[in-house]
Amino acid sequence: MATALTSASAPRVNRRVLVAGLAIALPLVAVLVANLGRDPHSVRSPLIGRPAPPFRLVPVGGGAPVALESLHGKPVVINFWATWCVPCFQEHAALVEAARSLPAVQFLGIVYEDDEAQTGEFLRQRGTAYASLMDKDGKTAIAYGVFGVPETFFIDPEGRIVEKHVGPLDRGAILSLVARARGGGR
Amino acid sequence: MTLVAFALSGLLALAPEAPRGQPLSGKLLDQRTDEVGALLRCPVCQGLSIADSPATMARNMKAEVREKLAAGYDQEQILADFERSYGEFVRLQPPVRGVNWLVWFGPAAMLLAGGAVVAWALRRSQRPRGEEVALQRDSDLPSRDTLPADPRLAAAVRRVRMLAYGWPDGISPKERA
Repeated sequence: MATALTSASAPRVNRRVLVAGLAIALPLVAVLVANLGRDPHSVRSPLIGRPAPPFRLVPVGGGAPVALESLHGKPVVINFWATWCVPCFQEHAALVEAARSLPAVQFLGIVYEDDEAQTGEFLRQRGTAYASLMDKDGKTAIAYGVFGVPETFFIDPEGRIVEKHVGPLDRGAILSLVARARGGGR
Repeated sequence: MTLVAFALSGLLALAPEAPRGQPLSGKLLDQRTDEVGALLRCPVCQGLSIADSPATMARNMKAEVREKLAAGYDQEQILADFERSYGEFVRLQPPVRGVNWLVWFGPAAMLLAGGAVVAWALRRSQRPRGEEVALQRDSDLPSRDTLPADPRLAAAVRRVRMLAYGWPDGISPKERA
């Protein structure tokens, strides 16, 4: 008899509770799924697709200041780096080699929070194929929204930022990003 | 031609706006630098404002805030300028717009919605007591000879009636006669 009574009043799903539960849970699951592959620490630069902030900086060791405006018409690669940064060490050779093999592309280094004499010594020892510029008050790094080093910006011939790469670059990454900068990001 | 277009697009995109505030100096400049700095996130720190961080990057940013305040830029112009480089991330207080409405008003809305659900559930849980009172009136009682639609339950009810009253139907044979 007890069995008969229990089976007769078997619990049924409360539709309203189910709908309310789904209404709360589904958007949360959707947000989770949409962001599964995303690095929570990476912030997409709002500068991508916008004109690169202008600068006028003096190269390490002195000389005539280099202005971004003077480089219009050719793709530009700007690498923010420092001698105290180990990944910058690792990518230095790849950048120098790429700069030598791509004469139509203007490579530039911008020194981030580092001592000029130490930077000069580093470049003498390891060699370079492009100018590194001193950003003494950090204004250029701030204008480019730099979080740390190395960070590299790829600028198309019209002066627009096509891509920002965070972390060390290898030859393959440099070539593919330069190709995008040449094509205006298309 | 390209050069002119390049220069124009660059100028249009990056031309600094005219300052909207008053140029500051002295103690007021120091105070406002700290206040505006407290609203900007240090990009190389963990959840610190540039006013609180000793990092070189934070000091450089603070110097830029100071320069802009001295030049007469107002708080919103300065925050918007840093936002152009770093994105909304750089603001420690997200502006009330777009999806940020959720951040500002979401918790209060959820609290209100939760309160409404609790109030509704409480009112609902009180209802059966009211029904019991109402059922005590004879006219509201179900007919004694009705049976549940489920045949197994109906059989169980009939057995209980048999045990309790001695007859399986709701009405005694005497009454029926």
